[in-house]
Amino acid sequence: MSDNIQAHEPDPVHRVRGVDHAAFPTFDPTATVRFYRDVLKFPVVHSICAAGWGPEKHPDFIHFFFDIGNDDRLAFFYYFGWQPAGDQSAPGDAWARLPHDTPEFFKNSRHIALNVADEDDLLEYRRRLDESEWPVEMQVMHETIESIYTHDPNGYMLEITRQLRPVTPQEDLDAELTIDALCDVASGEDPSMDKLLTRKAELIVARAADWEKENPLWHETEKV
Amino acid sequence: MPRFYVLEVPENEGVIRVAADDPANTVDRVGPYRRVTARGPIVIDRRATGCRHAVWYSAVAGLETSVITQHDKDALRVEAR
Repeated sequence: MSDNIQAHEPDPVHRVRGVDHAAFPTFDPTATVRFYRDVLKFPVVHSICAAGWGPEKHPDFIHFFFDIGNDDRLAFFYYFGWQPAGDQSAPGDAWARLPHDTPEFFKNSRHIALNVADEDDLLEYRRRLDESEWPVEMQVMHETIESIYTHDPNGYMLEITRQLRPVTPQEDLDAELTIDALCDVASGEDPSMDKLLTRKAELIVARAADWEKENPLWHETEKV
Repeated sequence: MPRFYVLEVPENEGVIRVAADDPANTVDRVGPYRRVTARGPIVIDRRATGCRHAVWYSAVAGLETSVITQHDKDALRVEAR
């Protein structure tokens, strides 16, 4: 295809290219560097030393970045003289503390998951963590991924995961139907799984057969 | 008449197989989904499916005029609403 023809192709709707950086505060930069740079071997790739400025009483800060692969980065802010808020014995992390009776599943729902290629790589990170102050807390086989979990020195849950198989086209359809059903149910009264599955069955009946006509080779991709 | 849907992916093969092995159930296709229908309550034994827990608890894709009355480590039971 010539450049001339490419120039006339419409721009894609979906243009973002992954995570540039996800940023979190830390009150313990020493342990944070030990965890990410020394234990996990994530290179430090960028940092900013900035004097406080702007209309707010902004403290001086260091903004530093770790390479998490794929040119994506995990970043931290360390604010000089700034103290963590809330009851530090309560569940939570460096960013916020939750009420004491908050269950683990809710606290851990906010986390970052990094991808590795295969089981060897997953077990290599497991080995690095298990030899450190932050051993793996769980290794879980989910529906189509296997993951290890720990909490970093700031209390942020870190997941490292590998895909057990590629995502199939029918799973993309299923995700679309789930999300459409969820939006319908969540905007109504008393959302529940029962209501979602009932709505989703209506969407399956309305759309799944037509989807198959448009994707006649979906069975073959399943065997990849 | 109880009826539920399961997406056809490798992890759900055990659920589909156990449903199809029971002569009381009719299992047919709607696009990439398998549809399980019966006159009476549909009961799927978890151990017979061989599904690990994460798969087992996310296997149901849809419920048509039906309600789940049991979904635990032992069985999935779907009855007419």
